[in-house]
Amino acid sequence: MFSEMPKENDATVKMYFREAIIRALREEMRDDPNIVLLGQDIGAFGGSYREFDGLYGEFGPRRVRDMPVAEAAMVGVGVGAAAAGHRSVVSITYMDFLMLGFDPLINYAAKLRYKTGGQLNAPVVVKTTAGARGQGVAHSQCLEAWLMSVPGLKVVAPSTPADAYGLLKAALRETGPVVYVDHKRLFPIPGDVPIAEGITRIGHAAIRRVGVDLTITTHSFMTRVALEAAELLAAENISAEVIDLRSLAPLDMDTVTASVRRTGILLTLEEGQMTCGVGAEVATRVRERLGPAGSALRTGRLGALPVPVSSNPVLEAACLPGAHRVAAAARALFVGAAAEVLADTSTTHLWSTS
Amino acid sequence: MIYQISVPGLVADVEEIRVLEWHGCIGHEFDAGDLIVELETHKALVEVRAGQRGILRQILVEEGNWQKIGFPLCLMTDTAGEPLPDSVESAGDLLVAFEIT
Repeated sequence: MFSEMPKENDATVKMYFREAIIRALREEMRDDPNIVLLGQDIGAFGGSYREFDGLYGEFGPRRVRDMPVAEAAMVGVGVGAAAAGHRSVVSITYMDFLMLGFDPLINYAAKLRYKTGGQLNAPVVVKTTAGARGQGVAHSQCLEAWLMSVPGLKVVAPSTPADAYGLLKAALRETGPVVYVDHKRLFPIPGDVPIAEGITRIGHAAIRRVGVDLTITTHSFMTRVALEAAELLAAENISAEVIDLRSLAPLDMDTVTASVRRTGILLTLEEGQMTCGVGAEVATRVRERLGPAGSALRTGRLGALPVPVSSNPVLEAACLPGAHRVAAAARALFVGAAAEVLADTSTTHLWSTS
Repeated sequence: MIYQISVPGLVADVEEIRVLEWHGCIGHEFDAGDLIVELETHKALVEVRAGQRGILRQILVEEGNWQKIGFPLCLMTDTAGEPLPDSVESAGDLLVAFEIT
């Protein structure tokens, strides 16, 4: 039904996220016969987002396994297979359902190496999809911040097809567990992916737009929202630097801190909740790194309102940060910083700014 | 009369689309109902069928290449010898039917 790969040009080829995911899986599965895929409808059907199309045909039912609707068992089987010498990819269609797999993921996979004194590893990649797209309270959440605090677990979230390809390949070469988080709203948006095989190293953020007045850190779909906001701000002569974290555990604090050192203002942006969120962690670590030199630093954070995500599109949009809300928050920080003569270390809660 | 076919904004959130396959070469005459071109989104195929008779004169987006929603894919004319315009902007829209699978 779908063409295998788009037409190539010189250095990159434009493709959808799902094609970047298929390419990463195919290349790694050809190289490593131990890789097995586990998921619901990933076999002949090709995955809920067609992100496994063609793999069942090439690698067969032993390596591309359809699983029942039982996420705890899926993650458990994946972790067990990984501990026994396989390398498993467990596809959890909605990140909300990953909660059912937390015990094998967090209590077993993330701790296995430590618990066995390095004798066993669990090289398992849990591939899941976060984000709001009209599907309501239990199919919309961005829970990546919950996972950032688990020792032994890595968490990555691409915002481009190139990083979907590169991060998934990198995840498939890790010795321990990685949660790889896609976003539903990114799937319709194609992007250029290098033709040459390669990886995106885990733990390295990307500066998506260079700016001098303030730093916006974000990840996944919100990177696009931040870039849109940066355009709005540019029209007002406010120059925003946009950093796509790409890797949430570990965080690339070198890149973020260097940027904030230049701009003096940090606005964090995420689609998930702000309490104990990605932004809270980033801002705290920036302050720790800057020490007394950061006393004049101004920070703000933006995320979802503290309510469930509705399937009502009006309420869903109201709950989530959009470009205008991000621009307003950035403007408030910028104007506030410019107006103040004395250093102010207060953190502003900006989610109520509409 | 000169017509264009542009990319329809039929699938939610899609900003650009890939041309999968043209179902006729330059000079091919399409009757109403004939499949002209197949387009590909992240999850759907869009079949573009002729809503009126027309001759394919110029392909603006080759197979495997991309075009943004609302931008032209090809030029068509009523008759084979009609001279083509310098710019596609003067061309009206060909009547077409879409099927999404």
